[in-house]
Amino acid sequence: MSKQPLKIMLIDDENIVGKRLKPALEKTGDIVETFEEGEKALARFDETPFDIVVTDIRMENIDGIEILEQVLAKSGRTKVIIITGYATVEIAREALSKGAFDFIAKPFKPADLRGIIERASKELRSGFLHTT
Amino acid sequence: MDMHITDIKNPEINHENDPENMSLHERPSISIRAKVAISFSLFFILSFTVTGWSYWILTKLETKIDFLEIADNYMAEIQQARRFEKNYLLYSTDLEEALEHLKTADAILKQKNEQIEKILEKEHFKTMVTYMSKYHNQLVLLRSAKNDKEKELIVPMLRQFGSQMVSFAGEFVEKEQISAKRMFLLAKRVPLYFMSVLFVLMSFVLMFLARQLLLTLNRFMEYTKRIGEGDFSPILPARKYKDEFTKLAEAFNHMIKELDHKHNVLLESHKLRAIGTLVAGVAHELNNPLNNTLLTASMLTEDFHTLSEEEKMEMVNDVINETERAQRVVKNLLDFAREGETAIAPLEIGKIVEDSTRLVVNQVKFAKVNLELNCETNLPRIHGDEQKLKQVFVNLILNAVDVLTPGGQIRIHVQKDQTPGYVLVTVKDNGPGIPEHIQGRIFDPFFTTKAQSKGTGLGLSVSQGIIKKLGGYIHLTSNPDKGTIFTVSLPTTESASEIMSK
Repeated sequence: MSKQPLKIMLIDDENIVGKRLKPALEKTGDIVETFEEGEKALARFDETPFDIVVTDIRMENIDGIEILEQVLAKSGRTKVIIITGYATVEIAREALSKGAFDFIAKPFKPADLRGIIERASKELRSGFLHTT
Repeated sequence: MDMHITDIKNPEINHENDPENMSLHERPSISIRAKVAISFSLFFILSFTVTGWSYWILTKLETKIDFLEIADNYMAEIQQARRFEKNYLLYSTDLEEALEHLKTADAILKQKNEQIEKILEKEHFKTMVTYMSKYHNQLVLLRSAKNDKEKELIVPMLRQFGSQMVSFAGEFVEKEQISAKRMFLLAKRVPLYFMSVLFVLMSFVLMFLARQLLLTLNRFMEYTKRIGEGDFSPILPARKYKDEFTKLAEAFNHMIKELDHKHNVLLESHKLRAIGTLVAGVAHELNNPLNNTLLTASMLTEDFHTLSEEEKMEMVNDVINETERAQRVVKNLLDFAREGETAIAPLEIGKIVEDSTRLVVNQVKFAKVNLELNCETNLPRIHGDEQKLKQVFVNLILNAVDVLTPGGQIRIHVQKDQTPGYVLVTVKDNGPGIPEHIQGRIFDPFFTTKAQSKGTGLGLSVSQGIIKKLGGYIHLTSNPDKGTIFTVSLPTTESASEIMSK
C-alpha cells in the first residue's frame, strides 16, 4: 500500500536547524515546511493542518508550549514533538502532560528526530488515536 | 583543665606588630591612666599644701591667743600696781599692794617667759623687763623715802617709767590683737579661696579629660560608621601621642583586616551564585551552536556523496561559524567567572555594561522582557576592576529581570554625570517598585525580598561594597507605579586618583 506523505511543520528560531532538517526529513518522502517564528507557523497551520509539528521550546514571543497548546486546540490528531534547549525533567513533564507526543533535547542528530517522527507516523497511520 | 586556665590567664591580644598598626605605634605614649594620675596628684599636692598651711596658721593663732591672755593678765597687774601707786601718792594708802601686783606681773613674765619671748622677740622682751624693773626700783625707792621732798624727787621718774611700762605693753597688746584679727580673717577666707581654686581646677581638668575622651569616642563612632559602610581602610593616627585608645585602634585595624578578608570571601561566593544563575542561560545558548554544528556535520556525512561542492563548503563554514559562536559564549562567561585579584585599570564603561547585558541576554530572553541599552559616545574612562563592575551590572539587570513580568522593560543608560569627573549608569525597570519601608534596608547584607532558594540577599550589599571601593556611589529611586531606578556613579580616571588619595 502506498504511503500517503505526511505533512511536517518545523519551527525553530535558529535558521540552520530548518536548513539542515528539511532535506533530512524529506528523505522519507514527507512534505516539510520550516518556520523561524511561531506566529507565522500558526498562521500557516490555520490555512492547512499538519500531521506532525516539531517545535523548539525557547523562542521569543511565542514559545513551544504555547504552540503545542494552540496546535492541539486546532487539530487534536496532530503529533507535536518538542525540542528542548536544555533537557530538564520539569519541562519534559510539562510538555508531555500538555499532550506532546515526545521531546528531544538539543543537541541531537537528524537520525534521532527521524526515529521519533517514524514512531509518530506509525501511530498516525495505524489510526491509533493518541490521547493524553 | 590546666590548659584552660592558662588560656584564660593569657588573654593578651597584641596587634602592635601588624603592618597596618605601624603608624599607630610609632608615637610617644601618654596613657589616660597617666593623665588621671597626674591630675589626682596635683589635687593631692594642692589639698596637702592648703591643709598644712591651715594647720600652721591655726597653731600660730593659738600661741597668739595664749600670749594675749598672758599679756592681758600682765596688763591688769601693772595697771593695778599703778593704781595703788596713785592712791599712795594721793591718799597715802599702803604701797605694799602696788609692789604685790608688780610681783605677780613679774611672776607672769618669768613663768611664761619663753612664750612671750617668742612673740615679742628678745630685745622687746628685755626692754619690757627693764621698764618694769626700773619702775619697781622707783617704787622701792618711793617706799623707803623718808619725807615729801625725797618723794617729790622720785615721783617724776616713777611716773615716767610707769607710763613707759604700761604704754609699751599696751602697744604690744594692741598690735598683737590687730595681727590676731588679721590672722582670723585669713583663716576664715582661705577655705573659700581654696574652694574656688579647686572648683576652677576641677572643671578645667574635667573638661579637658572629658573632651579628650568624648572626642576620641566620637572618632571611633565615625570609624564604626565608616567600616559599616564598607570602607575597610585602616585607622590612621589622629593625635601626636598614643594611649589606651591606641590599643583599641589596633584592635579595630585587626578587625577591619578580618572584615575585608571576609568581605572578599563574600564577594567571591556571591559571584559564584551569579555564575550559577548565568550558567543556566549559557547552557541554553551553548546548546544552539552545538546543535547546529551536530546537525550540519551529521548531514554532511550522511549526504557527503550527493552534495555539491558548494553545499559542502557552505556546511563546513556553518560548522566553523557555529563553533566560534560557542567559543564566544564560553569566553564571555569565563571572563566573568575568572578568579583573580582586584585589577584596577582604566576601563570603558560602555563596553563593560554592554558585556554585562550580553551575559544576561538569555535570562532576559527567558523572562520575555525587553532590554534597551543607550550609551553616550566619547565617555571618559573610569577606574575600576572589570570583573567586579560586570558583577554589579549583571546583578542589577538580574534583579530587574526578577521583578518584571513578561513584556516588562529594562532601560540602561550610560552617560556623563552632572557632577564633573563622574560617569553615571542608570538601570531602570518598569516593575512594581520597591516599597518605601524596605528601601532603607535594600543594601543591607542578607536582606532579600526573594524566596529563600532564589536570593542570598548579598547582591546589592556586595555591589555597594564594590562601587564604594572605587570611590563611587550607588543609590535607588523607586516609585510603586513607575518602577525602580538604580543609579551607579563612578569617578573617571582623571578624578579617581584624587578621591582614592582622600
